[in-house]
Amino acid sequence: MRSGTENRSNSRAMNTPQILTRRNFFSTATGLAATAALSSLTDVPLFVQKALAEGGLGQPGTNGRVKKLLFIFLRGANDGLNNVIPHGDDAYGPKIRDNIAIPVDPAQSWNVQGKALFPEAGTNGATFAYPYSLPLGNGFAGLHPALKFLTPVYNAGELALIHRVAYPQQSRSHFDSQSYWETGAPRTNMVKDGLLYRAMVESGRPGKNSLTGVSFQNSLPLLLRGSRAAMTNLSDPTRYDLLGVPNTADGNLKTARALQAATGATFPDKANRDLLQQQYENMRRTLEIFAGIDFSEAGNTFVDNQNSDGNKPYSLFPTTNAKNGAGPSGATNPGYVVPTSAYGYFNQLKSAALVLNKTDALVAGTQIDGWDTHSNQGGATGAHANLLQRVGWSIYALRQYFRQYADQCRWDDLVIVTLSEFGRTTIENSDNGTDHAEASVMYVAGGGIKGLRTDATGKVTHSGVFNCGPSDPVAWQTGMTGSMFQSTGRYLQRATDFRSVMGKVVRDHLGASQEQLNRIIPGYADLKQSLKAGGIQSQDKVRVTGEPDLI
Amino acid sequence: MKLFYIGCILGMALGWVRMVAETPDILSLNWTNGRPSLEFRLLPSVSEYQVRASATLGMPGSPLAGKQLGTVWTAEAAATGDSGFYRLEALPLAAETVRASTLLNRIAYGPTPDALDRLATLGTDAYIEEQLAPEKISENLDESTETDPVWRKVTITGTGSSSKLYVYLNGAGDAYLDDFRLVAGTTDNGTTANLLINGDFEQPLATANWTTTTNTLNSARTTDYVHGGNASFHLVLNAAGSTGTDAVVQTIPTTLNASMPYTLSFWYLAQPSTRQLTVRLSGSGIVATVPLQGDAESPIPYYARLQEGSASIGDLRAWHVHHAVQSQRQLAEVFQQFLENHFVTEYSKGFTYFDDRAGLPNAWSGPESTRQEFKENLRWRRAFLNPQCTFHDLLKISVESPAMIIYLDTVLSRGDYDSTTKTNRIANENYARELCELFAFGVDNGYEQGDIEQISRAWTGWTVELLATNQAANPFATRTTTMITSGLTNATERNSVTNLLGLWSFRYRTDRHDPRIKWVFYERDAKGNILTNSPKTVPARFGPPWAGRPYGLKLSNGSTTNGIQDGYQIVRHMADQPFAQEYLSVKLCRLLVHDNFHHGYDFTDAETSPEESLVHDCMLAWENPTNGGPKGQMREVLRVLLKSDLFRNPNTAAAKVKTPLEFAASTLRAFRASKPDGSLTASADAPSLVASGGLLDRAGRMRLFDRAEPDGYAEDAGGWISAGTLSERLRYVQSLALAGAGLATGTGVRSSPDSLGSSRVDPSALLALRLTNGANRSAEAVTDYLLRLLFPSEGSANLSQYRALSIQFLNTTDNGTTPSEFANLVPGTKDYDTRVRGLAALLLSSPRFQEQ
Repeated sequence: MRSGTENRSNSRAMNTPQILTRRNFFSTATGLAATAALSSLTDVPLFVQKALAEGGLGQPGTNGRVKKLLFIFLRGANDGLNNVIPHGDDAYGPKIRDNIAIPVDPAQSWNVQGKALFPEAGTNGATFAYPYSLPLGNGFAGLHPALKFLTPVYNAGELALIHRVAYPQQSRSHFDSQSYWETGAPRTNMVKDGLLYRAMVESGRPGKNSLTGVSFQNSLPLLLRGSRAAMTNLSDPTRYDLLGVPNTADGNLKTARALQAATGATFPDKANRDLLQQQYENMRRTLEIFAGIDFSEAGNTFVDNQNSDGNKPYSLFPTTNAKNGAGPSGATNPGYVVPTSAYGYFNQLKSAALVLNKTDALVAGTQIDGWDTHSNQGGATGAHANLLQRVGWSIYALRQYFRQYADQCRWDDLVIVTLSEFGRTTIENSDNGTDHAEASVMYVAGGGIKGLRTDATGKVTHSGVFNCGPSDPVAWQTGMTGSMFQSTGRYLQRATDFRSVMGKVVRDHLGASQEQLNRIIPGYADLKQSLKAGGIQSQDKVRVTGEPDLI
Repeated sequence: MKLFYIGCILGMALGWVRMVAETPDILSLNWTNGRPSLEFRLLPSVSEYQVRASATLGMPGSPLAGKQLGTVWTAEAAATGDSGFYRLEALPLAAETVRASTLLNRIAYGPTPDALDRLATLGTDAYIEEQLAPEKISENLDESTETDPVWRKVTITGTGSSSKLYVYLNGAGDAYLDDFRLVAGTTDNGTTANLLINGDFEQPLATANWTTTTNTLNSARTTDYVHGGNASFHLVLNAAGSTGTDAVVQTIPTTLNASMPYTLSFWYLAQPSTRQLTVRLSGSGIVATVPLQGDAESPIPYYARLQEGSASIGDLRAWHVHHAVQSQRQLAEVFQQFLENHFVTEYSKGFTYFDDRAGLPNAWSGPESTRQEFKENLRWRRAFLNPQCTFHDLLKISVESPAMIIYLDTVLSRGDYDSTTKTNRIANENYARELCELFAFGVDNGYEQGDIEQISRAWTGWTVELLATNQAANPFATRTTTMITSGLTNATERNSVTNLLGLWSFRYRTDRHDPRIKWVFYERDAKGNILTNSPKTVPARFGPPWAGRPYGLKLSNGSTTNGIQDGYQIVRHMADQPFAQEYLSVKLCRLLVHDNFHHGYDFTDAETSPEESLVHDCMLAWENPTNGGPKGQMREVLRVLLKSDLFRNPNTAAAKVKTPLEFAASTLRAFRASKPDGSLTASADAPSLVASGGLLDRAGRMRLFDRAEPDGYAEDAGGWISAGTLSERLRYVQSLALAGAGLATGTGVRSSPDSLGSSRVDPSALLALRLTNGANRSAEAVTDYLLRLLFPSEGSANLSQYRALSIQFLNTTDNGTTPSEFANLVPGTKDYDTRVRGLAALLLSSPRFQEQ
């Protein structure tokens, strides 16, 4: 078994009394393994490493830092039409969404080109008191008010709002469609591993670096799954530790060593044995790394350096009532920035941010569940709005965290992407909800992302809204037969393939070569799919933009 | 130069009948001082790797002495002569042993020591038939077999640490106790002098040595219940007790000797209480702590609460898990969990519905949602006891269940005419889609979006309502009008659901139903218009007898109560279509064989894989049951599957990874053997396993009855195994090995064991039962027994490295390096127990124990 502790000294006198902590649960065993080793302990087969010269993926740039990615999967299908809202299309409104349409503020002018509105909580107003859509300054689209914390990022030009994102021959099954987003290979079951897993493989780092792709959720997402190398998933990093029997310094040592030997034993090949082997090995290597990061609640001291809303800087990762915006709302208190049910999620998001910032991991992420709003979806407030608050605050807070607390990863080094398997029907159903449909919204943010652009005078020259305006390359067609009703009458049809967005990020941000990208996203090599330059996608003859100009 | 004959494996055709030895792939051959050493690829389920030598090619030759460890076999002596032929053979483990292991891991929640022994004599075919007929297996887990009141006896031996005896509970409450005895020595034959005064409580407390404290002031002698004589002791505590100042105390007249053994016994009345009774000597030389409930593992109290509708979701989960661990009807339990997971519903969604929509108080919503989950569970359990239980029976239970009607939003879905929009309301598609995709046909298997829209209209009007108790099975009944308190003057209060007597049940509302004709499974033209003369036909890939069959369904039940038939006709129609046969067969194969089955096979293809063939065989058993009964009999399909060659194949053994539930149950069952006195060497605390922060929650958030996504919990390994979930599984078994053994938690360790509640394993006691005449003191015997118990399909030759490691583990001190002969440790001592528990934890922590 390969040692993950090259830097540790093996020369410590063997009879020195030791205090064994998690930090060295396994590494101590490794250091002393020679005395206990069975001759048969076999190494984990070396990972086939790609030639590093091929691309910059996973390689430090001239500033010595590596480009990284943080993903947030919105599972259950986000109703994109109530995220980035096409108010310029008369068909949007109570006619199709009697109970859940987001109204426009009669006091706001929609034709002004410029920056997006950020409605600050008033002296007596709650943070989310503003009940109207937020104009995005392109004369057409508005943002759901629960997403208000996106607007500072948007106005800084570091957020792209990409509407009408999907893939050809859309599946309306959650599970199939999530798989397609995660494998990056829609409508084929031949590709079994994840898009980001393949990106990690192309980086040549699995097998050399202990951490490559890391997720914080219940199980490792397909995005990071593959057969040749183990990515890491933890649900609660504060508990990531093992025990000895007896649970003493000696007992821990004996258990650790024996377990390491047992993990190294050879057995006949069986269906899941490679997976188990890789994940046991992965656990052995990563216990020590995670022990070096403070994931505790007490360590969650990250606070904004500016008043984003209300009258005081807020905690960046709301994991308790006290760390949630201004705290419980009161007469003069604007209240929470996210629902109190979001604390578990923000703990996961904080862990993902810490791992990107404190280790050499390239990719980290988590997910938000609960987007399958078939009934009682709500409008400016309600179930869907509560989920959107999480998204808005996540992107705002991550930007501040990587700007203020950067260690191995600065805001310029990071791109955040959101994924969601499909959008929802444009017309609401009898339960005041929406059913499964096609295209939805992707958010892409980062210090290097080109969203809204201004000239030297500060005048906005380029909107950060993609595919939600009449002048876009694949224009938004208004009216009751327009973009919102294509296909069979209640589906928003795609204008951009999600693979073009992911491809752009993987190549132009993470640094993959085009050759590598063709392997990471197989559709790229097929020109008929028009992923790079755009055009008609051959599978279902729909026109798409190709890669959006966002990096 | 020596020649080496390397045997080839032709096609790895490991049939279930492995009468002859096989020849593994040889990877390399080395010579050291004239001794040949072979490295080779291990084969599954091998008891011995043997090398035969012969002077002539083609002759069988004779076995050569050598030693195998892992993938390497080394000859004991240098080769004789200059040339010869050698052949490596793998002697397979008995096919019955492999199949028994696979059965106990797949149609049971893991082997128990007793079950392994039983199968060895019963035979695997007989076991399959026994388990396929659960109604013939007597089971009384939910039924009290004793008449009230039940007195239970506790006997415990310890040391005489003090002459003060304390009696208390761990909270406010009361208990009845009688006939205390404390005698010198390790046994009490009933005639030895009782060192306690008034242990039978025939005299009042205060006058005969029992003293109360402020906390126990209301304790008294009573004649309400009696074990022996005319009176007993009624112990009453105002708050939790823990020591002499808050307990009932007897100061024993005889001075006890702290280094001598004494045996305490007493009787207590079992009662439905969550309190624990403690009787102990000051200094804790003797401590007896027992749950007043009596048998802590009994599902009876949970069942009682579930029956009366007061149970929490935790009660339902605990009841379900107790059955999983204890039931003799193991296949029925595995199948029950399969159904719960296949026809998934979400407790939390029901809770929210009753709380927010139905107007129930918060405190009532949990029990009500639990009741709906329990009703489903119970109906499925009962359905499977019918020998001819069909898939349609099971699907219908799901369809009618209020839990499902609420879960996938049918409850509010409407399709009636809306006079404002001048069109029918748009039905919610959620249930229709998952019915096709997840519950009956499989994704994209025989349906399309247009069919979902048609089907969604059929379920409009299916709601949940509070019906009069005697109308609960009548879906056309209106809301109950029976009031609990009819004298209320406020009309709102009078008619509130909290003042109405009834049961929340399925109700069909004609006024919400879309009465228009539905054309389900019909072809469409290019514009999407339905071609009413063209029902869809079964695709050619299914082959005979299915291919080409039309399967369109026209529903024209209109607007009367007949409209309820729309839904029933759909499930009747779908249940036996080849798509359902294929999809459910695939899911059962994934559950019981291995992960790599999928729907969409071309059954007409000349090239068929064993997986495709097995699915096809299951479908034929579904279509043409041998007993002539209805199509879709689950037992017929299961029998084909369990008796298939693929199921018996050694590559199938241990090819799946346990879910958290299977892992939890199998750890406890592995050490759970019956002692001669009827007690067990392991016990399960089901409420702790399923609690928030328990193993099932931690190791991947397996919240039974409360899955948010309608695809159910993963059956494949990738859905459960990551570094984070593995560490939780390992912490659990390590904590389990530590629990209750008095093993010290040392200084300098970072983590404490997790709270397990009262789950316990006692591997030393198991070894004492199974390894007699001192064999439980042999490191080799202990190792071999545990390896056979925990990895019964692997074969001793494939376990050679685990064996060497285990023996070394037993023969070293806690630091793992200082030699310390296991044979020198005495069973019953803490040192012995620590060593054995350490090995048990190690083996349960190993990769192989994740498999089933």
